Amino acid sequence: MARKAFLRAVLAATTISLVSAVTAAAKDKITIDLVNEPSMLDPHTQWNPDSYFVYRNIFDNLVTRDDAGKIVPQVAKSWKYLSDTRIEFALRDDIKFHDGTPLTAEDVVYSVKRITDPAFASPQLGQFNKIVGAEATGPATVVLTTDGPYPVLLPQLVKLSIVPKHVVEKVGKAEFNLKPVGSGPYAFADWRRGVEVTLKRNDGYWGGKAAFPTAVFRAVPDAATRLADLQAGTADLVVTLDSDQARQLDASPVAKPLIVQTERVAYFALNSTKPPLDDVRVRKAIALAIDKVGIAEGILAGGEKVVGELVAPASFGWTDGIEPFPYDPAAAKKLLAEVGAPAKVKMGLATSPVYDQKVVQAIQQMLRDVGLDVSIDMTDMATWLKNQQVPNTEAPMLTFSRWSCACQDADGIMFPLLHSSSAWSRWKTPEVDQLLEKGRSLLDEKARLQAYGAVHAYVKENVPLIPLYQAAIIYGARKGLQWTPTANESLFLARMAWKD
Amino acid sequence: MNPASPPAAPSAPVAAAASRRRRFRLGVWPFVAIFALFVVVALAAPWIAPYDPNVQNLFGRLKPPGTTARNVFYLLGSDELGRDLFSRILYGARISIAAAVLSVVLSSIVGSLLGMAAGHFRGVVETIVMRTVDIFLSVPAILLAIITVAVLGPGFLNVVIVLGLTRWPRYARVAYGQTLAVAGQPYVRIARFMGAGPMRLLLVHILPNIVGPLTVVATLEFGLMVLFEAGLSFLGLGVQPPTASWGAMLSVGRNYVATAFWIATFPGLCLFLLILSVNLLGDPLRDRLDPKSR
Amino acid sequence: MVLFVLRRIGQALIAIFGVMTLVFFVQRLTGDPTFLLVPETATRADIEAVRRSLGLDRPLLVQYLAFLADVARGDFGLSYVQRIPVTQIIASRVPFTLELAGGALLVSVGLGLPFGAAMALGRGRASTKLLTGFVFASQSMPTFWSGILFILVFAVWLGWLPPSGAGGWANLVLPSFALGLLSMATFARVMRTALLDELHKDYVRSARARGVALPRLFFRHLLRNAAIPLISVSAIEISQLLAGAVIVETVFAWPGLGALTVQSIVSRDFLVVQGIVLIGSFVTIGLNFAADILYSVVDPRIRLDGGAA
Repeated sequence: MARKAFLRAVLAATTISLVSAVTAAAKDKITIDLVNEPSMLDPHTQWNPDSYFVYRNIFDNLVTRDDAGKIVPQVAKSWKYLSDTRIEFALRDDIKFHDGTPLTAEDVVYSVKRITDPAFASPQLGQFNKIVGAEATGPATVVLTTDGPYPVLLPQLVKLSIVPKHVVEKVGKAEFNLKPVGSGPYAFADWRRGVEVTLKRNDGYWGGKAAFPTAVFRAVPDAATRLADLQAGTADLVVTLDSDQARQLDASPVAKPLIVQTERVAYFALNSTKPPLDDVRVRKAIALAIDKVGIAEGILAGGEKVVGELVAPASFGWTDGIEPFPYDPAAAKKLLAEVGAPAKVKMGLATSPVYDQKVVQAIQQMLRDVGLDVSIDMTDMATWLKNQQVPNTEAPMLTFSRWSCACQDADGIMFPLLHSSSAWSRWKTPEVDQLLEKGRSLLDEKARLQAYGAVHAYVKENVPLIPLYQAAIIYGARKGLQWTPTANESLFLARMAWKD
Repeated sequence: MNPASPPAAPSAPVAAAASRRRRFRLGVWPFVAIFALFVVVALAAPWIAPYDPNVQNLFGRLKPPGTTARNVFYLLGSDELGRDLFSRILYGARISIAAAVLSVVLSSIVGSLLGMAAGHFRGVVETIVMRTVDIFLSVPAILLAIITVAVLGPGFLNVVIVLGLTRWPRYARVAYGQTLAVAGQPYVRIARFMGAGPMRLLLVHILPNIVGPLTVVATLEFGLMVLFEAGLSFLGLGVQPPTASWGAMLSVGRNYVATAFWIATFPGLCLFLLILSVNLLGDPLRDRLDPKSR
Repeated sequence: MVLFVLRRIGQALIAIFGVMTLVFFVQRLTGDPTFLLVPETATRADIEAVRRSLGLDRPLLVQYLAFLADVARGDFGLSYVQRIPVTQIIASRVPFTLELAGGALLVSVGLGLPFGAAMALGRGRASTKLLTGFVFASQSMPTFWSGILFILVFAVWLGWLPPSGAGGWANLVLPSFALGLLSMATFARVMRTALLDELHKDYVRSARARGVALPRLFFRHLLRNAAIPLISVSAIEISQLLAGAVIVETVFAWPGLGALTVQSIVSRDFLVVQGIVLIGSFVTIGLNFAADILYSVVDPRIRLDGGAA
């Protein structure tokens, strides 16, 4: 097992250098429209997509994922398990931070300790809190210790940014947040608050030179405006479009949509602790009443794949063994007729403007069609989140949501949504808890897959919630941009090129 | 949009109005007709709408005006979920007009009463009311909207409450200024001298003399309220989907201007005509009711 | 008069204190920023840790007193989202807000006054009716619609102007028009009414009877007399502009205070919201105060000493 990982890592090391070898036509500046401006660029202090899109280009990680989604070396050349809980990383010795100092084992240890220190209160702590120890055993060797066998360690390390110890210690947290220094293919240049963040290419990057000397990230909250920016040539790449906007770009002479199937899963959550949803027949009826194919092909039409498992095919834990519930409104009506009057209770469907309202309204209509009394409760995101993470008795009856852990592993989705200890979960059975705990503590991939397969079967049988589809995300780009977006929704400038 | 009228003296209102009555020219009648038409449409929507405004047809999305899909004839086209745009516009009239009317009524009653009280009693009442006005004018409307939705939950009535909460200070300021001006007039002094109580003074002697300017403000506010309701929909704080309102339809439709122009154009046109007709009615009305208005 | 001004200043300060107290507590009814700051996978313990690090775990009253103490020292705290001083965030946005407000005012006054004058002086002509129609029409479209139409026509199709963002002066044109056209109608209508009122006055009639040319009369007398109502409209219109800017700035990605307000409220960045509201209340209350003083200058019957009239 350990040797296999090592071998794979070495193999991958030879392929990653190809990525940046794409030759590019001259384009001095790439302009990217995000939704909001980044909140902070210290990679350890925040968690939001706008910051993530930017800072991932400034910093390197121990490992990364290639365009196919495979975990490949970055700062770590290779790694091997010393035991079930200790893993040794051999680091590259040719990496320099943007200030010219070499990246050493000390920096890696410092970064790990910084983000896992409870007193530091990183919002990302939960992704790394299984790491209990980090030590430099040589100038270019680091050993990480986990508090038990932890199969998701490498997927999590994909987003643990390595910061320079000497800089952070010298300037302090506040200053580092204003002027971050990393070792990535781009260096921080300027941040005009509220307007734009500018990055400059790191010409001495160990992994090869990126295509664009300058990258500018702007905040454009209105999707219609982002689309216009693209068509007017003000932006070269924009994020977060919907499928109808993508269709507009299909016809555009200057721009194109870039669609990728992500690790994000859309699901329909049911508060099974409250009547009438405590009756499995009602839950099954809802699963049968939602026309998942109709939503995926009729509304979204971005190649979304309907799934019967609470995990996307792009993630570990996908078994491809469970058929989604068919669309069968007649069967749904029959089940509801068996239940009778109790099923007619008015139920709220909680949603927020960030979710595609076309899908939400379509689901509401489908549930009404089989005789359920469903109303939409739209609130802003903060209120929506607050209403989700409450005791079961107060939680919304119905929720449409899309989930990604940015780790491409079933543990990051299924544990929070189904384990009884989680604030998101409306399900409490020792059987499911056990399987999920197995899934996050076994190193053997087969055994893990087996555990998740059992949960998938359980979900199909008892319908604690309903998996809907693997969500696509849609970028818009100028015709000249050469880029393959990936399932983990990262936006790596170094993997982009330009061809007029 | 009208400023808080400086408390001009309502000198001999009746005579002045009479001399300007001829300004109520023929030109405004088309707009009276448009407004009346919208109101009739709103009231009669259930009888004249060809289809249920909320029934979707995922195979008939974004169909241009005049097409038929799955036995549904889309007179004005279909929206992003295959709903009949024509039926939605008819039903949307109800929400857009009702939200504006109710919020104008709510804010004008609350604002006028408080403003009159402030102008009439002066002293502590004046200070409290007028400083509260300042407070409400200082809080961003969107903050009030988010708070209302977070605390009361979303819905049509809460939209009206948000609009009312934001706009009552406007009436309060006008009513306050007008009351101050009227209170100094001889007939009010005489009435007071004759022993009229405060309620009688306010309702019988002051209110009739300031109702003109307030009505003018209300007509101007009506258009604003229609716009505000639309703005709330744009920010995701308006009426709940799938309920149709012109503002909500427009804020979705603006994403389709290049590919399915009809989704925004028709509700936009209705909204435009509604506001235009009321505003155009407001000006002659002002000339009649408020000769000195600014 | 001095006493009145002093008392009003005192009242204004109390009102501002009221605004701050209201905003402080009412905001906190809507939850807190923690859920938005952490990943979905965060456990309850992670969420608590972040909440503690922001000081949001303290009792409300303690937070309130700490906030008051900070404000008294001129410290508005650190943004929960960006972790930099609130004053710094707001200060970075103020220039953009002033630019946009200035641009919009230029459009609304620059177009509104001549249009209003034309409507008053050219009453009855067909061209005037057309102009009146245009003026009213400009007030009858939601800015989120007119804004995107402007962008599509002038930036995407014609390519004359940049569609969004801040940069050069060209970036200011479209948002200024989108925002300014709303108020333009008001200025035009106020100008029209004011001029019409003046035209009916005796001095105008006698002057015209004496053969004084209209342009001369217009610039010498009419304009000055019409200025008073216009000034008082401006006070209201400026605060309307700031409110309208919320949507215009969102559509045009203009980095002013309006966009910041929406973003901070949506992200529950309480301290930033409080900072913005504080500035806003100074401006609003200040403008109203100025308007009140102005009324008493215009109409001496409104006595400012607060006694019964």
